Amino acid sequence: MAGAGKRQRLALRLASIPMGLLALSCLYPMFFAVNNALKTRHDYLLDRFGLATQPTLDNFAQAWTGAHLDQYFLNSVIATVGAVLLLMVVSSMAGFALASLRFPYRRFLFIVILSSLMIPVQVVLVPYMRTMVALHLINTHIGLILSYTAFFLPFSVYMMTAFYSTLPRELIEAARIDGAKLFQVWWHVMVPLGMPALVTLGIINTLNCWNDILIALLTMQKNRTIMVGISALKGQYSDQIPLFTAGIVIAAAPIVALYVIFQRRIVSGIAAGAVKG
Amino acid sequence: MHRLKLITAVAAVLLTSPALAQEITVWDVNVDEPSHATYYAGAKAAFEAAHPGATLTFQSQPDAEYYTLLGTAFASKTGPDVIWANGGAQAKSLVGGLIPLDDKLPDLISKLVGKSAFTAPDGKLYFIPTTLQGHVVYYNKTLYKAAGLDPNKPPATWAEVTKMCDALKATKVACFMMANKEGFEAEFFLSEMANQSLTAQQQADWLTGKLHWSDAPIKAILQAWVDTAKAGWYQEGGNSQTMFMDEFTLFSQGGAGNVWGLLSNVAHWKVFEKDMGVDNVGVYPMPSPTVAADQHEGAPGVPLDGGVGYGVNKDSPNIDLAVDAVKILASPEVLANLVKDSGVVPANTLVDTSGIDSPGLKQIMGWLADRAVPTTHANSSAAELDEWHRQSQLLLNGDTTVDAAAAALDKIQAQAKPQ
Amino acid sequence: MATNTIRQTAQGVPPRSPSRRRGRAEARAALLFLLPAVLLVLVFRIIPLFWGFGLSLTSATATTPGEFIGWGNYLRALDDPNFRASIANAGVVLLAVPLFVTIPMVLAILIDQGVPGRAFFRSVYFLPVVLSSVIIGSIFSIVLGFNGQLNGALKLLGIPGVDWLGQSATALPVTLVIQSWSTFGMGVLIFLAGLSTVPKDMVEAARLEGAKMWQIWWHIIIPELRPVIEFSTVITTIGLLTSMFGLIYVLTGGGPGTATTVPEYLIWAAQGRLNQPAYAAALSIILFVCTGILAWLQIRIMSRNANF
Repeated sequence: MAGAGKRQRLALRLASIPMGLLALSCLYPMFFAVNNALKTRHDYLLDRFGLATQPTLDNFAQAWTGAHLDQYFLNSVIATVGAVLLLMVVSSMAGFALASLRFPYRRFLFIVILSSLMIPVQVVLVPYMRTMVALHLINTHIGLILSYTAFFLPFSVYMMTAFYSTLPRELIEAARIDGAKLFQVWWHVMVPLGMPALVTLGIINTLNCWNDILIALLTMQKNRTIMVGISALKGQYSDQIPLFTAGIVIAAAPIVALYVIFQRRIVSGIAAGAVKG
Repeated sequence: MHRLKLITAVAAVLLTSPALAQEITVWDVNVDEPSHATYYAGAKAAFEAAHPGATLTFQSQPDAEYYTLLGTAFASKTGPDVIWANGGAQAKSLVGGLIPLDDKLPDLISKLVGKSAFTAPDGKLYFIPTTLQGHVVYYNKTLYKAAGLDPNKPPATWAEVTKMCDALKATKVACFMMANKEGFEAEFFLSEMANQSLTAQQQADWLTGKLHWSDAPIKAILQAWVDTAKAGWYQEGGNSQTMFMDEFTLFSQGGAGNVWGLLSNVAHWKVFEKDMGVDNVGVYPMPSPTVAADQHEGAPGVPLDGGVGYGVNKDSPNIDLAVDAVKILASPEVLANLVKDSGVVPANTLVDTSGIDSPGLKQIMGWLADRAVPTTHANSSAAELDEWHRQSQLLLNGDTTVDAAAAALDKIQAQAKPQ
Repeated sequence: MATNTIRQTAQGVPPRSPSRRRGRAEARAALLFLLPAVLLVLVFRIIPLFWGFGLSLTSATATTPGEFIGWGNYLRALDDPNFRASIANAGVVLLAVPLFVTIPMVLAILIDQGVPGRAFFRSVYFLPVVLSSVIIGSIFSIVLGFNGQLNGALKLLGIPGVDWLGQSATALPVTLVIQSWSTFGMGVLIFLAGLSTVPKDMVEAARLEGAKMWQIWWHIIIPELRPVIEFSTVITTIGLLTSMFGLIYVLTGGGPGTATTVPEYLIWAAQGRLNQPAYAAALSIILFVCTGILAWLQIRIMSRNANF
């Protein structure tokens, strides 16, 4: 037994070497982006890969104020936070229903939601615009929140359904025998139990909403989100790469910070007494 | 403070409605370009001075999504009053959503060159060109000197080009830059080779689709594409090299002796002179392997056409104001800012470019006056260009033959330009 | 065993009190729970799909309504060598799905099992996912260029350089490797979440009884992860078929030739470059149908209990 443990520990230690190399390769793009954001246009032209010889914060300043990123930042935050919260609620409820409850057309509805994942976004654009115009949702925060929710819902519902279907039915039955209404079951049982999945979903959807360009471009045409603002920084044949990179870093920073903070919650989901055999 | 700003912003959004203030919106991809700042500011000031109570708003759009955005906007009737577009296939495909401008701005139009890139098959002009785009060769004088070539006598015939390339190859330097990931190098090659090898009639037949890819003049260009690659003119890995902006950066750093460059707003005389030094860069028009009957050996033409322009959305609620905005954007006074700051060549012949101190530009303006020829690739359909991107890459790799490529291209051409 | 497939959940446990009133109440509540989701999906995805199908039967452009041409666009797609090439490429891409699923799973299990440095790995592996495909594509375009860092390193080892992204034979595999690198962090995250439901005491018990590591993996952990594996496979397939565009656009522009042209790329080109939205719609419908069939097959194959 001790032998098995030692061998396993050795195997794990060996595994950490290639994993470490992989991790370094993952760090590199962030370094590349930050490094280039500190260069002037001329420095970048001279040497794309070297360390910035005369680092300057001008690009960050110009991206933030000159390109209105300070305004756009708030818009991104509103849309993302709103959509992610709405997604967590709606997908958790839908996942609960699809995984744990019995009702007619359940299979059909699941297929409908799942299949909408496969619809390429291009075909949706024009009817989407017409719908948004008809509902007077263009250039509104609510409109963008609803759009993000709608676009990322299929994935979220599918994920919550898959996770909820790993939970034992006995738990839900037990809660219901206590006379709890289904809504209470959802709120007091399914949501806490689904925390690791919900947090994961929260991270994934935050990323999806924050990084989206096309939907935000169409929906919030005047009062933009940050990623749209950044991609508009790069004119048609622009050689303002350091400026563009500075914008990218500004946009990526909150997500990275968020992820580093929250990915521990997934692990802590184990400690919180998640499902035991 | 922030909260007050937020409340004010919300109030402003709630209180403003399209009907109250007359606002002309222009979609453009270069709004955030520092070198274009005075141009847009000048246009806005002139417009608002001429129309008190109206505002001119420039909406910056991301370049990569621009045409998807435009298409969606037109199809869902949510487009702006004025749109910017590149001349050529893209602009021509959008004319269905615009109004023809011939009757609206006849005086302005008579002063413009480069209109064919914005003229629809029905013969009407749907965009007002503001800049010209053309193709010439820029060369590195230092590398010429190192290869034993006279830096002040660039090649003027195909034979001289071949000799020049041989000399450069001997010093282990690539002769021409090749950056064909996006397929643009092949497009430029087409126009640069056709400038002297096609007659005026053949250029016209190309526009209507009567001249085919498999016909002798064009097929010869495809063959030249293959032959020059085989002769070792280009650096390796051309199919994975991007043109904008990598190729021109590399050229500035001495990556090759020559590069097929542009005239206007980027990758042109102003940028190269700044990055390489005025004394190190020169320019010449590209000679073709064969010289057409109505062309002159030793004096190649310069492919020239409208670069970018502005059109008016036919669903705009303020057509006359929109038309006036376009007129202002193309007016000599306003356009002069753009010329000064970003080095574009204006489409409006009334703009004064004499004050600009650049030997390269002076030469170029001289050629534009008497050696302009059509830009062959701008007269191709978007579908053909798309296919030419692919075929050119395959030809460069040796993955296909000239005949097979020409046949594939003919098929696309027949679909796009039915006879 | 705590594993419950959806169907087992449905069929395994009968309601305690078999009153039909409760069944109906449950059905009503369930539909209420589902209502917001179904409504949103219907309005923003399903109805546009039908509209798109209608458009695909015409010759409309963005600026002209065109006319009804029936199956014309579909016939054109079948005849289009570029589309046929893109379907072939999609087939190649799909062959990579097992790898795209397995690698993150293995990494997640290793992290869960306590590999040294796991906190660092957990944080860092997600970084490529956060960065947009534009940045990643730009970086790798340079690194993999003919005069880029990779060939430079190979030259030091005496191996001649290759134009990785510019040669037809290597362009697609290399693109897939980069796609994998830029998305595996997401898979690790999902599997980590799934691993949080694997009962730890079962693993401990097996280890105390002397089970080797791979035995524990193969007989306990992976079976417990089956719903997550199935989910990941379906999501990866859909993702590969509908979200590779950004990366391909920057890395290779769909080339050389059609080496990295996938259906999604052609759809974008038809819509955004060629102003042929009706053709784009037809291609989208074809892609949708193919993806649907694939996902359905995957779900059927993977849940041997005829899950749903």
